[in-house]
Amino acid sequence: MRKFSGFAVVREAMRAHKGWAEQWNTPEPRKQYDVIIVGAGGHGLATAYYLAKEFGITNVAVLEKGWLGGGNTGRNTTIIRSNYLYDESAGIYNHALKLWEGLSQELNYNVMFSQRGVMMLAHNVHDVQVSKRHVHANRLNGVDNEWLTPQQVKDYCPPINIGKSVRYPIVGAALQRRGGVARHDAVAWGYARAAADMGVHIIQNCEVKGINRGSDGAVTGVETTRGTINAKKVGVVAAGHTSVLMEMAGVQMPLESFPLQALVSEPVKPILPCVVMSSSVHAYISQSDKGELVIGAGTDQYASYSQTGSMHILTDTLEAICEVFPIFSRMKMMRSWGGIVDVTPDRSPILAKTPVSGLFVNCGWGTGGFKATPGSGNVFAHTIAKDEPHKINAGFTLERFRNGRLIDEAAAAAVAH
Amino acid sequence: MLLIHCPYCEEDRPELEFHGAGEAHMERPKNMGDISPEDFEKFFFIRENRKGLVFERWRHLHGCGRFFNAARHSVSDKFICTYKAGEPKPELSDEQIAAVLPPAKGTPANEPIVSKGDAK
Amino acid sequence: MANLELPLQSRMFANDGIAIAPIGSLERVSLRADDSAFASIEKVLGLTLPKKPKTSVTKDDRTALWIGPDEWLILGQDNASLMQAFGKLRSQKFSAVDVSHRNCAIQISGENAVMVLNTGCPQDLSLKAFPVGACSRTVYAKAEIILLRTGENEFHLECWRSFSDYVWKFLLDSATSL
Repeated sequence: MRKFSGFAVVREAMRAHKGWAEQWNTPEPRKQYDVIIVGAGGHGLATAYYLAKEFGITNVAVLEKGWLGGGNTGRNTTIIRSNYLYDESAGIYNHALKLWEGLSQELNYNVMFSQRGVMMLAHNVHDVQVSKRHVHANRLNGVDNEWLTPQQVKDYCPPINIGKSVRYPIVGAALQRRGGVARHDAVAWGYARAAADMGVHIIQNCEVKGINRGSDGAVTGVETTRGTINAKKVGVVAAGHTSVLMEMAGVQMPLESFPLQALVSEPVKPILPCVVMSSSVHAYISQSDKGELVIGAGTDQYASYSQTGSMHILTDTLEAICEVFPIFSRMKMMRSWGGIVDVTPDRSPILAKTPVSGLFVNCGWGTGGFKATPGSGNVFAHTIAKDEPHKINAGFTLERFRNGRLIDEAAAAAVAH
Repeated sequence: MLLIHCPYCEEDRPELEFHGAGEAHMERPKNMGDISPEDFEKFFFIRENRKGLVFERWRHLHGCGRFFNAARHSVSDKFICTYKAGEPKPELSDEQIAAVLPPAKGTPANEPIVSKGDAK
Repeated sequence: MANLELPLQSRMFANDGIAIAPIGSLERVSLRADDSAFASIEKVLGLTLPKKPKTSVTKDDRTALWIGPDEWLILGQDNASLMQAFGKLRSQKFSAVDVSHRNCAIQISGENAVMVLNTGCPQDLSLKAFPVGACSRTVYAKAEIILLRTGENEFHLECWRSFSDYVWKFLLDSATSL
């Protein structure tokens, strides 16, 4: 891989930019791999990267039915934070955050990670109690989180409205300064480039139609639209389509797939310095480096694989945004879209071995998967390589729905659920 | 916005009047206290989450208030029919199902567009 | 003796093609009834209960609105003595709850009434789909309401007291944005 650098930009400029190498290639799939990852989203590509980088397992194929990063990875609102409530969650999201902090350097790819702070607003007594509880829990777990007064909220984020006469006045906020945003596409591309450079095969336009098992029930490979591909280890990392894929191996999941919409405004000059989220008013917002306001809220209420949703979700979200930021009331919205989010009953992910030997699953991130991308890929690679979960993902089992060890992050998942 | 036919109000109403209530025909165990953790998990947490024809519950919350069931395609989001609570799962004809399938050409955004020129 | 204060007392709005006014106090009963009780109820109330969805029946100073297959809202003028009427029934399968003070009502009239209502209510309110006498529980913005068409350009809107300020202001906002 030819490294990106300032020097490279100058060099290539001298050669009319004809020397830039392909970031990843388009290999024909082999008949056999050591590991197959199903789903070339951020989590899947990160898994393949860490399998190669940390465990030396390079005979890996990442199979993608569409184009890499074309699912939820390319559709999210890019918020990164680690201020969830429980120890297990603090573990994985903070592990991810620490990886984010060095990611551009590690991948030699600018993922545009900006630690501008994530502020979660409190509008009533309940919000204050829940937020402060989170602040304390986070600090006990070594995760930065602090409580702000309304004036401090205004100082940190000037365009916000802290007037007393609104329906849901701001009575405070929890701020995670290390949180922020990154460029979602860049994360997929960065991991893809680095993984491909180490020999991982990224096979696009290749849809898995079946999961093959031997007479002992263990995984032997997959059937795809481009033929049979064998492997003793298969990791399913396919977000909204997880139920569909796991069904192919006879494994039933505690998941429901819902549409999650998002929208962006016309680009404007920098006005919003941080990420702002509000559970009560029901929306979250940040400003991209292109200048667009990136806005999202909760899922549509019915299970769907359509990647679209109803208009009233968007109008309700924008009403909420204008309540908190009256200054944005005349922005023109430019584009809206949807993804498919797989939601678990306790709003926590599943990164685990399954009852089928050789089959691993990474799913259930619901509306909050992007922030965990590096951490998820990292510990999932460990789980596959060692055939045992890492201690960071040890709690995120499939069994917890039977033995009751749920990790209830409905409050921390906040608006989105 | 979805338009949903309430079988009690006997007309199509906008989605805002309704509340989605998950997978239909989930029979509640009569002996909840005695069943195994596996069976409890099956009732409480495991869902088919099908990509295709689904049978689901809806409640006309801001209307007549009744629960009812619907047959819908979860890719096109088109409804085939709705039926009152307590009625059995309807038999659906091939024509009914064909009418709600997503278009064969013109793909949802992440379906592959296979072209020979892509592979090098 | 306590004075009854209506939630939207002394509010009023009128402009070209639209007038919004609070309706004075009414007697209201939320009725749930099994088929077997219909005949007795209709006898003591002095009117037939509407059996078709989205319809109402008015007789003298009482109106019965179909809300669901076994649910009605009965409206009567202040001295209608609705609860006393129900009190005459014994051993029938029904539930009658006095909600006179739970709800309040607003009249919206004028040629722009439908437009103003449609800013918050997603139903088809054309005369064809929602004729005079039609009624429905539905939503208006974020509030649940019961809407009854009392004339070609006239509606009676019922909402819970605690939502009345919100509903009024939303109506006003729509009316002034015409």
